[in-house]
Amino acid sequence: MSRLGLGAALLAALAAAVVLGVRFGAVDLTTGEVLAALAGGGPEWQRQIVVDLRLPRLLLGALVGGGLALAGATFQALLRNPLAEPYILGISGGASVGAVLVLALGLAGATSWALPLAALAGAILAIALVFRVATASGRTLDVRVLLLAGVVVAAFFSACVAFILSVSEARTVQGAVLWIMGSLAGASWSGVGVTAAYTLPAAGLLLTLARPLNLMAIGEETAHYLGADVEKVKRTALALAALLTAAGVAVAGVIGFVGLVVPHAIRLLVGSDHRALLPLSFLGGATFLVLSDIVAQVVLAPTQIPVGVITAFVGVPLFLVLLRRSLIP
Amino acid sequence: MLGSRLRVALTALLLPWTVQACGPADDARPDGSRTDGGPPDRSAGAISLSDADGRWVQLPGPAARVLSLVPSATQTLAALGAASLVVARTDHDTVSWAQTLPSVGGGLQPSLEAIVAAKPDLVVRFAGPQDTRTPAALDELGIPHVGIRPDRIADALDAILLLGAATGRAAAADSLVRHLQAGLDSVRAEAAGREPVRVAYVLGGDPPWVAGPGTYIHELLELAGGENAFADLGSLYAAVSVEEFLARDIGLILTPDAGRLGARVAAGLRVVEVGDALEFPGPGVAEAARTVSGLLRPGGRP
Repeated sequence: MSRLGLGAALLAALAAAVVLGVRFGAVDLTTGEVLAALAGGGPEWQRQIVVDLRLPRLLLGALVGGGLALAGATFQALLRNPLAEPYILGISGGASVGAVLVLALGLAGATSWALPLAALAGAILAIALVFRVATASGRTLDVRVLLLAGVVVAAFFSACVAFILSVSEARTVQGAVLWIMGSLAGASWSGVGVTAAYTLPAAGLLLTLARPLNLMAIGEETAHYLGADVEKVKRTALALAALLTAAGVAVAGVIGFVGLVVPHAIRLLVGSDHRALLPLSFLGGATFLVLSDIVAQVVLAPTQIPVGVITAFVGVPLFLVLLRRSLIP
Repeated sequence: MLGSRLRVALTALLLPWTVQACGPADDARPDGSRTDGGPPDRSAGAISLSDADGRWVQLPGPAARVLSLVPSATQTLAALGAASLVVARTDHDTVSWAQTLPSVGGGLQPSLEAIVAAKPDLVVRFAGPQDTRTPAALDELGIPHVGIRPDRIADALDAILLLGAATGRAAAADSLVRHLQAGLDSVRAEAAGREPVRVAYVLGGDPPWVAGPGTYIHELLELAGGENAFADLGSLYAAVSVEEFLARDIGLILTPDAGRLGARVAAGLRVVEVGDALEFPGPGVAEAARTVSGLLRPGGRP
């Protein structure tokens, strides 16, 4: 498939997903009612559903999904590891410790921002810790050490979460499990604004690193000889990808699979050129998460399924089909 | 120690969130309700409530469309004669009269769209950390909400008074609370002369999850002539090892569903399935105490 063709298809799919997401939700509204609400007419409760619930949820899904997929593609390129995904550096573990700590200390109700702020702080702490370890030996950032440090830090934070939950009340455990499962249900316009403030600049900067990332894929030494500032590219790209992940996990919890499967699927379709892979991964992740969240909302409405369940249920078969197709000569 | 560059970087990264977090507090809603931490407004007709989260909630008048996410609160509303005010239910409401109402999903992280579509002027939700997204979203949507947390018998009675005040049925709530207290006193007096029975309330599982001190169930067991075998548990509910369970010399196991009990836990012990009789800390509290007392009486049968 050509890059332009896939880009156009993904853009069309994202637009269709947004239309579907505005039209369908847990409550049945007619097309006329949705259009009236979008135009500022109709009853207030319908305007609230369409404008204050569905639209911010769609935008948040697109930002978080796009950010996770872009981060996944970046980590896979830099770590040269097909299993790399946005949470590989312990970011979800750090965020979980922050969130669970706030829940266990009874601070989550102090302000609606307490939990996402704590999650973001935990995620950034994890990133800082992993980077510190990976650069401890000298001035260069060794991606093998980074990967190892990430796995170890993730395991440590996972133990911290288990410890906090084991000494917490059942209701704290319940709250933590709901948060860790990931959801876009808490979407609001203010949340969209904050997430966009992190995601869009970070994504834009990452896209400018596509060419050096292509060189890095050949090998760091070769990239250096071909003129890439290897250390700068590594640090900048990793920091930006980590920030994208941290912003997503802070507002939506831990949503798995998007950052692993989407970049691989795009790579299978258009190859490994990051000038195409990165923007298409963002578009693909945004579309995939928005569509998954619509399914999560309507399939058992009004009961909501964790969106991570849908991303896995839909993503695994889709990915296996693509993988099989790529293996057949 | 974090380096100064790292501290600056962290501050910059957290800035967009802190700007939001330090924004203006919630103001009064257009309909006169407010859900903030400020002191109550004493304007005429307004109802000021302090909920289980310690928040002051002000309603412009008695709630006329109530959505309860807490099944015991739904039962309380019916006991106060306010069933007609209830506009939606959760999937966990088992009372028959509520089954015709639209569902909003679970009591935790319900469908916000379904809540908005029900057009409530008051949402009753679980207080505490179980679900932080729902109260935040309700604040954003401008829908007044109160949190209740009926952990103990006194909490259940407080919730009745709170819901009575919120729906303009304060007198009915007072009367119901007095009636329930009299019923509980009568069970307590009847059980006082009996030899206590060592009893465990097991929610299920292997290792078993048991009710500890500070719970509504613990109070019911002790009030009705039982001695909670896990009165020394460190938290409200917790899983204990099978070894620990078997060492407690338990005379009776009460459980909502015997099918959820592990075979190692139930082996050789008297098990009585009580369904959801003890699961709703609300207007059924005195009846639940009578049920437990009957089971703990010598020769007592389910």
